[in-house]
Amino acid sequence: MTTPTAAGSENVGTKTTGARSAGIRKAVVVGGNRIPFARSGGAYAHSSNQDMLTAALDGLVARFGLADEEIGEVAAGAVLKHSRDFNLTREAVLGSALAATTPAYDLQQACATGLEAVIGLSNKIKLGQIDSAIAGGVDSASDAPIAVSEGLRTILLDLSRAKSLGDKVKIASRIRPKHLSPDAPSTGEPRTGLSMGEHQALTTAQWKISREAQDELAFASHKNLAAAYDNHFFDDLLTPFRGLSRDSNLRADTSVEKLAKLKPVFGKELGDAATMTAGNSTPLTDGASTVLLASEDWAAARDLPVLAEVVDGEAAAVDFVHGKDGLLMAPAFAVPRLLARNGLTLDDIDYFEIHEAFAGTVLSTLAAWEDEEFGTTRLGLDGAFGSIDRAKLNVNGSSLAAGHPFAATGGRLVASLAKMLHERGAVDGRPARGLISVCAAGGQGVVAILEAR
Amino acid sequence: MTAETVLTEMPSLSKLYVNAAATAARARLTRPALVTSLPARAVEVRGVRADLAKLTEFAHLMGEPARDILPSGYLHALVFPVAMSVMVQEDFPLPLLGMVHLRNQVQHFVPVLFSDELSVRAWARDLSGHRIGTQVQIVAEIHNAEGTELLWRGVSTYLAKGVFLPGLDKPSPAQPRVDFVPPAPTAQWQLGVDTGRAYAAVSGDFNPIHLSVLTAKALGLRRSIAHGMYAAARVLATVPQAKPHAFSWDISFDSPVFLPATVSLEVLDHRTDDGAWLSSEFTAWHARSARKYFSGTVWAGCA
Repeated sequence: MTTPTAAGSENVGTKTTGARSAGIRKAVVVGGNRIPFARSGGAYAHSSNQDMLTAALDGLVARFGLADEEIGEVAAGAVLKHSRDFNLTREAVLGSALAATTPAYDLQQACATGLEAVIGLSNKIKLGQIDSAIAGGVDSASDAPIAVSEGLRTILLDLSRAKSLGDKVKIASRIRPKHLSPDAPSTGEPRTGLSMGEHQALTTAQWKISREAQDELAFASHKNLAAAYDNHFFDDLLTPFRGLSRDSNLRADTSVEKLAKLKPVFGKELGDAATMTAGNSTPLTDGASTVLLASEDWAAARDLPVLAEVVDGEAAAVDFVHGKDGLLMAPAFAVPRLLARNGLTLDDIDYFEIHEAFAGTVLSTLAAWEDEEFGTTRLGLDGAFGSIDRAKLNVNGSSLAAGHPFAATGGRLVASLAKMLHERGAVDGRPARGLISVCAAGGQGVVAILEAR
Repeated sequence: MTAETVLTEMPSLSKLYVNAAATAARARLTRPALVTSLPARAVEVRGVRADLAKLTEFAHLMGEPARDILPSGYLHALVFPVAMSVMVQEDFPLPLLGMVHLRNQVQHFVPVLFSDELSVRAWARDLSGHRIGTQVQIVAEIHNAEGTELLWRGVSTYLAKGVFLPGLDKPSPAQPRVDFVPPAPTAQWQLGVDTGRAYAAVSGDFNPIHLSVLTAKALGLRRSIAHGMYAAARVLATVPQAKPHAFSWDISFDSPVFLPATVSLEVLDHRTDDGAWLSSEFTAWHARSARKYFSGTVWAGCA
């Protein structure tokens, strides 16, 4: 747990006002801004990652009056990234109204990119290294990088090193028609060759998650997200872009019956036991999100709101390669560790934001936590880790309805949860508490605790 | 303006260029009656909207993020067919083809969104003598759909080289050339031979002087040249985005950028003590010969 410290040393020459040696201070969420998420090939089909990240940043700057402000650090990333975008975040900062003296870096941890950016920057604020930060993420499945084939790439590099015309001709003559087929990115795991959906289909079957349960979770996601829009929940969390003012994947009129009609798309070799459809899996999506983080003093000095405190975060990874655990099951291990470190149990959480990569992912995680054997043999507990009140789960919808632009999901979750916690205020005389859980490619997961302010 | 021509839709630039070429060809054969004054009509088009795909390509070509707010150069490209319609009117005194761009003065009063419906109006003014020909200003204004609010205003000065009209002021003698000493560059552009074609594709301005060596030679230039607005738009893409909602810019072209080219630039920002952006001055020159290409200023406000 963090401990509050007396901040505010006014040393001339130090950039931050944070105490540099005396313990750690608090990092808070001031607010967030994202653009609506769009199904790939839709409204943002021709928008680049830099366009979308800049749009999300522009909206954040406008909302909190940050023009010409030098932010301590900006960190964001994209999972599908062009090699020319090596400095994506810094370029977005330079194209924004923030002071050009704002440092920035790119990071990438697959779907956990956005949440990891929030945790990493919060830690810098807690340590007094910076007073303010913007965490973000962006992804475009529409404007994805396509590379030349590996064979052609080798030939082109050899060609660039050739000295004489004779050498050049000789090397160029190695080019064959097969080299011309491009190399497009995929969601396949390099070590297994299985797509993320196929991996999850194995996990979904292992935990015996029914088709009905998955469709019900998907339906709840759409219903809750539609209600959140109707209640103007996103009015101060979102800036329209390219004519979109709502997530384009949202189907307010969907129903369990409609979802039940969809044919399975993953795990089809399971035959009748195949349960994962396009309705209970997230679609490829384009979008961007940002979160403004600060020390309490920085926010107060600018009269900015404080929605929540970033209490703690934890990463975990599983050995999925030979099937010991499911690819997306790392949060099942990260959450028990995180809660234990903070002296909490599932009962102490008021809102659960469990990223819906697939409905099966959320339900497999919950099933593992309710499983006695998993609790004793895998988590080292006396019994099952516990179960959660489903009324506290993804109450304003999640990725199944909103879509999932990989690196942008973390920022969406943090900003939304921070606002929910702030609105909730106190529960039983203590600040309302929320848990975020994000699974990621490579068998990883990142989770975090936020508390209301 | 007392009279105006209201067009029902945005005129096609390619047709305008074909018409201009036909007019030029006819003029060689028939020697039309000499016109020495400007038409008194403005040309207006209502219900104009940005083309989102072109807008995105335009911003990306300039190296800036494609936003919902239209970049200044794109607005110029958007209104250009209306401005050109002014110059192809039968009683317009100067030949459109081969005219070169001397200066642009632009004021942004209000940000324009891609979804906004716009009214565009253009007219000619200030026909005057120039040392090597005759110059004219084309004013283009963008209003909101109702025509009640002025959003953007651009004044472009063009020169018809070698055209001298009777009755115009005697052109002032050539100013003694001030030696240009290039400063240390802050940036460098490598412009390939396809720069003109690339800008034509996103702006719709297929003026032959920009497209290829052959088409440029047909109009008396030794090589194709970069569009002036391409240069202006690229400079604008690099100035601080902390621009206030209302801002202005002014660019003067000293010599054409023959393609391919390596262009050196200096951009100098001026800020308040609080770091707020006030203005940026820019100068561009040929990287090796130090021949000045263009210079200008972008500043906050519309004064």
